[in-house]
Amino acid sequence: MSAVIEIEGLRKTFHSLRNGRRVAVDGFDLLVEAGQVHGFLGPNGSGKTTTLRALLGLVRADSGRMTVLGEPSPELLPRVAGQVGAIVESPQFFGNFTGHRTLRLLARAGGVPVSRVDQVLDLVGLHDRGDDRVKSYSLGMKQRLAVASALLKDPRLLILDEPANGLDPAGIREMRDLMRSLAANGVTVLVSSHILGEIQLICDHVTIISRGRRVAAGRVDEVLAGHDRHEFLVRVAEPERAVELLHAAGLTAVVDGEALVVSGVGDPTVVSRALGEQGLWVGELTPLRPDLESVFLELTGAYGPSSVPRQVDDSSPPRDGAVIDLDRGVDA
Amino acid sequence: MNLVRAELERLSARRFVQLMVVLLVFAFAVTAATTLAGSHKPTASELNSARQQAVDARRSMETTHQECLARLQERSPTDTSEYFADCADLDPVRQERLPIAADFLPGVFSFAEQAESLLYFLIAFLVLFGFLVGASYIGADLNSGGVVNLLLWRPRRLTVLAAKLGTLLGSVLALSLLASVVYLATFWVIGQSAGLPGRLDGDFWGSLGAVHGRGMVLVLLASALGFAIATLGRHTSAALGAVAAYAVVWELGGRLVLQIIDARRPDRLMLSSYIGAWLSGESRFFDPQLCAATAGTGYCSGLYTLTWGPALLVLVALTGGLTVLAFAVFRRRDLI
Ligand SMILES: Nc1ncnc2c1ncn2[C@@H]1O[C@H](COP(=O)(O)OP(=O)(O)OP(=O)(O)O)[C@@H](O)[C@H]1O
Ligand SMILES: [Mg+2]
Repeated sequence: MSAVIEIEGLRKTFHSLRNGRRVAVDGFDLLVEAGQVHGFLGPNGSGKTTTLRALLGLVRADSGRMTVLGEPSPELLPRVAGQVGAIVESPQFFGNFTGHRTLRLLARAGGVPVSRVDQVLDLVGLHDRGDDRVKSYSLGMKQRLAVASALLKDPRLLILDEPANGLDPAGIREMRDLMRSLAANGVTVLVSSHILGEIQLICDHVTIISRGRRVAAGRVDEVLAGHDRHEFLVRVAEPERAVELLHAAGLTAVVDGEALVVSGVGDPTVVSRALGEQGLWVGELTPLRPDLESVFLELTGAYGPSSVPRQVDDSSPPRDGAVIDLDRGVDA
Repeated sequence: MNLVRAELERLSARRFVQLMVVLLVFAFAVTAATTLAGSHKPTASELNSARQQAVDARRSMETTHQECLARLQERSPTDTSEYFADCADLDPVRQERLPIAADFLPGVFSFAEQAESLLYFLIAFLVLFGFLVGASYIGADLNSGGVVNLLLWRPRRLTVLAAKLGTLLGSVLALSLLASVVYLATFWVIGQSAGLPGRLDGDFWGSLGAVHGRGMVLVLLASALGFAIATLGRHTSAALGAVAAYAVVWELGGRLVLQIIDARRPDRLMLSSYIGAWLSGESRFFDPQLCAATAGTGYCSGLYTLTWGPALLVLVALTGGLTVLAFAVFRRRDLI
């Protein structure tokens, strides 16, 4: 498999007179290979948009190496720009133009046949509103127009920064279907989003960024498996006695409401045997698999019991050995 | 090429540009209508009387000149009073223009007489138009994210910016040429049908053409300047602010300070002097020290001249410098 996007050691510092220096991206790595639908996750202000901007030549990186479709970016980006469709943060369009005209101008500037405009408007569900002015569009309609603009080139690589922003539930599902069908046609997709359930449904790979650094990367199932503590939810008649029995059998268990959470379970039959032998019959034995949300929150430290509101820069930096990367093994 | 076509469509769709064009047409219509309303074709008797008056005026000038020459002959060699300094000043042959019939025809529009000042008015409007459109075109696009969208499509910053500047200059020039042709043609028709055409000889067209050509250059310079400052400041208002600040701080405040400290030839340091010199071919400014040097030896006007050559150099250097700087800054800047 060939790398479609490669970022190594990307650093970007913003300087401003008012706020001084702010390190937005701090030695970030990203690898997206051909055919992947790659999720790009991170808390607010963790550097996702800045990374994409640097990759697309909109901001100058301090240091780092980046390639897009094999060409070093931003130097040789123009060579492959025709194959890269991108939206970075909600793009702004000129309000006085109709949706159709907006796309026609972009198509013309990029040398794409104008007939493509109607196709993409149709694809994003704006076919009937294409002749309305952009300023009369709703948030979700603007977002759809943005996605349409990224699709206009019939790209090999699609980069979408929060495409679901403002979309209604049906729109989110349509976006999901769209990405799936694009992926089925061999388009590589890099998508950032805060809707983790969505990412888990459509992405095969993820990279999680926190405070400008990568904290996890790899196949979605592997990342999840890496955070699997092998916990099971157990329902029995006498939870307290069950805890003691399980302790005696060498397992860790705690009472959680009316049920037990047993962790470190390699083989669940051990649990039912330990309890059953003492006459406690297991009513329910459910594996507690981590989902992307819990892994995300654990890795980014973005949520926890606290009496003060969490601030955007409070996310945790990567811990040692936290990065799981299938293709390179586990980073130490 | 495609880029330029797309830019052309964007530019022409801008509300501000449309508004300015409407304003131009409106100002033009009002001037033409009032001129038309205030002018009539002179009757034969009016013409005759005006011709007679012009002949009289020329004759009286000639008489004054002759009297001066006569007095010069009579005066004693020791008398150097300035009055006699130069009878040539009174010589009708050496006047820039002599009284003609049109001067004595109130309420009659004469194309030959008015064309130049009408053209100056048009040029002033077009200079303002070019500057404002140049500034708002890039300023609004930088702010609305239009440039970013375009760069995602064409990640070549200099090409994109150059296409914008080129489109701007081309369109402003085309519009200016069109406007001046329509404008002058309208007044020419008014002169023919409801006034006097006047003497429309080669000299007239030559000098009108020269003013027009210099005006067009000024319009282009103003457009590029607006574009460059707005690019540097990322905002339309940067260009407006810069010009307003320059005018107040330097042209007014600076001039005052230079006067107080008695600096020599303050006009040389003012951009407005160069604009004037470029447009009219040359400008004269007063320098008292010129006369101090020749004190007592005779006549001294105390004037020095700025000619169009150096004036153009100053204007082009300023605009060109700022434009190059704008491109250099834009090439490296973070576009958010
Ligand atoms: N133009 C800028 N000037 C100064 N700091 C900036 C600028 N743009 C971004 N930053 C800072 O860089 C950091 C990363 O911002 P970025 O927009 O990349 O975050 P993000 O991951 O996209 O967040 P979100 O999920 O909210 O979109 C933030 O701390 C932000 O304040
Ligand atoms: Mg963002």
